Amino acid sequence: MPAIDTTHLIATLRAIGPTLIALISLVAVPLARHPRFGVATRSNDRAERVVISLLFASGILAFLAGSDYRSSALIGGIPIDPSEPGRLLVALGAPTFALIVVVGGGRRVGTMGQIALFGLAAIDLALAVPDGLAPVAILIFGSIGLSAFAAGSRGDAARARAVFRDLRAAAIALPLLVTAELLRSAIPLSATDANYATPTSLGAGAALALAAVLMSSTGVFPFHHRLVRIFETLPIVGSLLIGVWLPTALSLIVMGEISSLAAGVPEQIGGAVVPALLIAGAVAIAFGGASALLHDDIGEVVGFLAVGNAGWLALAAAALLINPDNDAARLLPVPGALSLSLFGLWLIGIRKQYEVTAISDLGGWARRTPVYGVILIAGIIAMLALPPGEIIAAKINVLTAGGNPIIAIVAALGQLGLVASAVRILLVGFTVPSRPVRLAALRKLPEVLVIAILFGAITIAGAAAGWLSIASRGAGPLPSAPPLSSPTAPAPAPNETASPDGSGAAGSPTP
Amino acid sequence: MGQGLPLAIVAALLATLAVTGARRAAWIALAALVLVAGVLEFPDDGHYPAGLLLRLAALWGATLIVLPTGLFDFAALRRDLSPRVIAETLSEHPVVAASALAGLLLGAVPLALPIETSVAPVRAAGIALLVIGLPPLLTSGYVEATGRAAVVALTGALLLRASVLGALDPLAAVAIAAGLAAILLISSSVAGQITLSEEE
Repeated sequence: MPAIDTTHLIATLRAIGPTLIALISLVAVPLARHPRFGVATRSNDRAERVVISLLFASGILAFLAGSDYRSSALIGGIPIDPSEPGRLLVALGAPTFALIVVVGGGRRVGTMGQIALFGLAAIDLALAVPDGLAPVAILIFGSIGLSAFAAGSRGDAARARAVFRDLRAAAIALPLLVTAELLRSAIPLSATDANYATPTSLGAGAALALAAVLMSSTGVFPFHHRLVRIFETLPIVGSLLIGVWLPTALSLIVMGEISSLAAGVPEQIGGAVVPALLIAGAVAIAFGGASALLHDDIGEVVGFLAVGNAGWLALAAAALLINPDNDAARLLPVPGALSLSLFGLWLIGIRKQYEVTAISDLGGWARRTPVYGVILIAGIIAMLALPPGEIIAAKINVLTAGGNPIIAIVAALGQLGLVASAVRILLVGFTVPSRPVRLAALRKLPEVLVIAILFGAITIAGAAAGWLSIASRGAGPLPSAPPLSSPTAPAPAPNETASPDGSGAAGSPTP
Repeated sequence: MGQGLPLAIVAALLATLAVTGARRAAWIALAALVLVAGVLEFPDDGHYPAGLLLRLAALWGATLIVLPTGLFDFAALRRDLSPRVIAETLSEHPVVAASALAGLLLGAVPLALPIETSVAPVRAAGIALLVIGLPPLLTSGYVEATGRAAVVALTGALLLRASVLGALDPLAAVAIAAGLAAILLISSSVAGQITLSEEE
């Protein structure tokens, strides 16, 4: 019997830790609910404890992977090596979602925990695969699966339509990515034969396809409708994962690809893509800000805050196309996901306590439930990135990278609108309590949970605002996410067709 | 080119039926398309075609789960799959049929782009499936039909990719097989939920 290499085994377990834990939850949660382990009426409590423990374990394993701890696995010849962005998202996401799951509670607490575990596992695995189509496929199909899982099967037409929109958006993203991959892989060939399209035109085509993927998957204007419906109808854990966290991971991959594309082609490949991204980004922020101010449904308001965040991702992608070495642009996705998670935490808490969704019905909420007031204040601080530091510097960098003052002014005004909409909700919380708020039978939160919420909210706000260095060990910018394809020429196809000039073996580059 | 071109034509025909046919014919066409496209995408290079078997198992399994009742009614199947009904279906949707033909021609004729250094029949089938699947994917209001169109369009994208870059790596093959199956299962479930809520 061959000896087991313990070091290798531990390295493998660390590398695929979040995925293993998500799979364990498939057995552990139903077991925890089983009557053999306690009375049936407490089965939700047991499931909650199990998923919280698993979420923390997932975060710890992600934290340990890489850096000083060797962690790599080989699955089907594919090396799995946790990347810095993946580790960061899972290490920060696991405790964040644990908090959201606990505050949400309820009958589906175990399912929500499992959704969080699988979403984080998908992010971790996708960002740990070195290149190819697998990372993107994991994120896109993971998003479809999780949206259906989150929607449940209770025959709610609005939820079902939100899932349908997500399915359609995801199905469109993959052909676009394949197009980008093909164009990207053709660049080396075009560089060796003048008869082909130029590297610049192929690079621009790939950048256009990638920009379309980024815009549609993150929900940038005019693709915002899906995002708003997701936040309005789906449970918060699912909304945050499908609308914010998985698109954030995808945007890190796309940004890495855009950066390497722009760096690999000698001429500027921005062309019409940069203005399109700049305009879409600025309009998304302004539209999100104005809509968040005008709407009364708290789910929709958080959805529009997410649209504003997506606008920043588009601006960051444009900044990377202009300057592939712009590290500031890569700093924005993770804080954006964290600050939106704070609003999600607030939303789920308020929905659970008052069972109303209109801001006009929420007068005095902060006076009755100050702990949620603290969460919202933390969210506003995270969104503003106060006190000014590297995150706000990155936002200013991204705003000015386009070199267009109108874009910068529109985006800045939009950001003010986003902040004003959150401040409006906070101020409503200090007005005279409305009838639904006065009459609501509040769920008493255990002291330990209140402390955890306060500590968690402040910590998340700190990470999002840049108080805590969110790069590994605080040293330098984040390494890029895995590329979509290796920047080498494609391998010769098994049965190559005749070349356009009939000489055979077309595309064999002339040395 | 060998069997490639006939297979590409069959794949385009099946894809057209999958997005235009009545429910029974569409599901049968989709199941057959998965096989034909799989044979084109995973070339027989002497290795055990695990990726193909995985794709077939996932998609046929999902199709079996979501199949409408009475699908295997022999008389109905004979009627729906008769050449006359197929010809009628194609003539009722001339735009889709013309798109399929245009896609095949566009894919088969080299246009002096670097990506054309690829397997012509696979490329032709890929482009045909893309132009057949994308319009209903973007515009259809019928959830189940959109799910089938999504599978057709994604299969086309994968064929186009395979024609240039070769077969998928194992992890991507697993992810794609699971994802395509998920699309079929979820679109069927969503359609069921919308119908249920409308009935209530």
